[in-house]
Amino acid sequence: MGDENSNPGSLEEKADQVTEVTPFAGDDASLESIVRRFQDSMSVEKTHKFWETQPVGQFKDIGDTSLPEGPIEAATPLSEVKQEPYNLPAAYEWTTCDMKSDEVCSEVYNLLKNNYVEDDENMFRFNYSKEFLSWALRPPGYYQSWHIGVRAKVSKKLVAFISGVPARIRVRDDVVKMAEINFLCVHKKLRSKRLAPVMIKEVTRRVHLENIWQAAYTAGVVLPTPVSTCQYWHRTLNPKKLIDVGFSRLGARMTMSRTIKLYKLPDVPVTPGFRKMEPCDVPAVTRLLRNYLSQFVVATDFDENDVEHWLLPREDVVDSYLVESPETHDVTDFCSFYTLPSTILGNPNYSTLKAAYSYYNVATKTTFLQLMNDALIVAKQKGFDVFNALDVMHNESFLKELKFGPGDGQLHYYLYNYRLRSAVKPSELGLVLL
Amino acid sequence: MGDWAQLAQSVILGLIFSYLLAKLISIVVTFKEDNLSLTRHHDPEPELNLKPEVDSRGRIESSTGEADSVIAEQGSSRGDSVGGDSEEEVEEEEDDDDWEGVESTELDEAFSAATLFVTTAASDRLSQKVPSDVQQQLYGLYKIATEGPCTAPQPSALKITARAKWQAWQKLGAMPPEEAMEKYIEIVTQLYPTWLDGGVKAGSGSKDEAVSNTGGTMGPVFSSLVYEEESQNELKIDAIHEFAREGEVENLLKSIESGIQVNARDSEGRTPLHWAIDRGHLEIAKLLVDKKADVNAKDNEGQTPLHYAVVCDREAIAEFLVKQKANTASKDDDGNSPLDLCESDWPWLRDSAKQTD
Repeated sequence: MGDENSNPGSLEEKADQVTEVTPFAGDDASLESIVRRFQDSMSVEKTHKFWETQPVGQFKDIGDTSLPEGPIEAATPLSEVKQEPYNLPAAYEWTTCDMKSDEVCSEVYNLLKNNYVEDDENMFRFNYSKEFLSWALRPPGYYQSWHIGVRAKVSKKLVAFISGVPARIRVRDDVVKMAEINFLCVHKKLRSKRLAPVMIKEVTRRVHLENIWQAAYTAGVVLPTPVSTCQYWHRTLNPKKLIDVGFSRLGARMTMSRTIKLYKLPDVPVTPGFRKMEPCDVPAVTRLLRNYLSQFVVATDFDENDVEHWLLPREDVVDSYLVESPETHDVTDFCSFYTLPSTILGNPNYSTLKAAYSYYNVATKTTFLQLMNDALIVAKQKGFDVFNALDVMHNESFLKELKFGPGDGQLHYYLYNYRLRSAVKPSELGLVLL
Repeated sequence: MGDWAQLAQSVILGLIFSYLLAKLISIVVTFKEDNLSLTRHHDPEPELNLKPEVDSRGRIESSTGEADSVIAEQGSSRGDSVGGDSEEEVEEEEDDDDWEGVESTELDEAFSAATLFVTTAASDRLSQKVPSDVQQQLYGLYKIATEGPCTAPQPSALKITARAKWQAWQKLGAMPPEEAMEKYIEIVTQLYPTWLDGGVKAGSGSKDEAVSNTGGTMGPVFSSLVYEEESQNELKIDAIHEFAREGEVENLLKSIESGIQVNARDSEGRTPLHWAIDRGHLEIAKLLVDKKADVNAKDNEGQTPLHYAVVCDREAIAEFLVKQKANTASKDDDGNSPLDLCESDWPWLRDSAKQTD
């Protein structure tokens, strides 16, 4: 390995090396060049090799406006869909997880609790509650066959999971039936077994069997090719705890006392008529939401059944509030957030970080700022430590003013087998995946 | 005699011709097959933890007969990475038997890295440089390691390459997958002794480790606040405040002994006692009070150390200050006393406020 390779982190450098290597390929397939190509390709090319074989927007097509928008591959006849599950390594077997069963739900919960997404420094790990999983995986018209587990044959232990749920997602003028793919998790001890690819293929197969050919998913990394790239923002509600657990930092020149004052919120919401959403509000909220979401390029398409499932308040899962005009009794504004705690790893004082995640919000009469400030107030009342939001929809208009700070996490949105001519701005996206 | 020779000649020619024809067909067929099988067997993966992890090195070195201590080291560092959660560790240790033969070993990981190397950088070179029997051997070992003994039906004799591959797999019989992995790595290491050098370095970027730890491709992201240095903060602060803030007892004592004022103010009017309390250092607070720090010093906003203790919810310190006759009714510039600002239920604070009334 020559000196040239002293900076393996730089992308430019990598690109240079690849072009440098090629001229020598013919005469001398030197070990160095092979090894170097290997190392280079590990990081960029190889990661995407799988996706280059998939019907997803390809990097090489970026900027090519001649390609039509819409499905990349046409639907194939159902009889041509592979009927048998993909093969797993010999020690494992497929299982379909019945999320109605408390026992199975607990197994999935425990797998995720111990093995799901962590932050870069491994200080926090998502801890989706059982109630949350049961809610997230059983929306109207869900398919149990899309709740896919992998068990060890001998012990029957659940070692991996992936899921899809049906959703209608509108892309410009077309409402497309899609699967939202989520909760891909492989046990820590099996990370090198390469289970994830076959799990993705299996869930795709089972989605196809229901005659659905598109999917939406998110990832923290860049794959071919993001439909949109969003940024997480965080509003501190409990500064002392967030600093103690390392979620945020106290600058040396800043006092805790002043930080606490900075994030202080009123005790109760300020908007007259601000109250919890109730079942009788479903039609009004649906109208409000459909109207609001119609302005985004890519957005979820909610009907009343969806609103009833996704937005009616559920204890420790999802909270929804609205503003009912004291005079006309019209529902004029709506806000919601879901509850996603994380396990705090290795802190002697705290074990759980309680985070609220902004979901869907619509303001028509109240200012967006005041509406969201009231959302912060109720979140604080309910004991949340932090309120998180993506810069999707119109969220950008309140983030800075309400003292949200930028996060270190980017979230990329993807569509499977659906091409968009170009990526959309976060503010053109009306979709939140859990 | 001549007839017989002629007949034999034409039979031989016919045989040669039909052999060549069969060969041609089989080449055409296998050419297509090979292309297909290349994508099939070396199925690229959507997993993001594709780089050989630091772990891999331990195993590679062991397979080439090197220090076991490296493995031990790797083992412990692996433990650490999960070990933040001690409960989980305990819980997992209990059912470790369940993982017998299922758990992915370091060998798995080295094998993964080796197959990846072969399928990426080396695939086209292999065909030029490596004899086909070695290629077939690699293929057979790969199949054993990933799928177990060969149960597929024998391909037709016309498909020469496919048949050779099948035979390579078949002849390994019921070789244990571990052995197949080890042999595979051995062959790759013989062919390309340096294949992993530097790969470890390249793979140890924090981003990649994070990806491999989270193991995720799809799904949500855990984001936390980016630290932003307060730019407009023009605070001027002395060393003694910093010692109090950081809880540095010895330096603080030295400062005081060298004659620095124990009630020295920073540009915001805070004393070292304010800073010690803000950061929750009870021992430092005690020491400062011991050195005659003013428990009722006000900062530029009129707040006393007790205001700070109450706002920061530091009960032990607040109680200590109250015992040291801190004024619970002292109003800050917003007109709030420590009692007004207290959100916790601290009876001793209320009681002492009554007494001072």
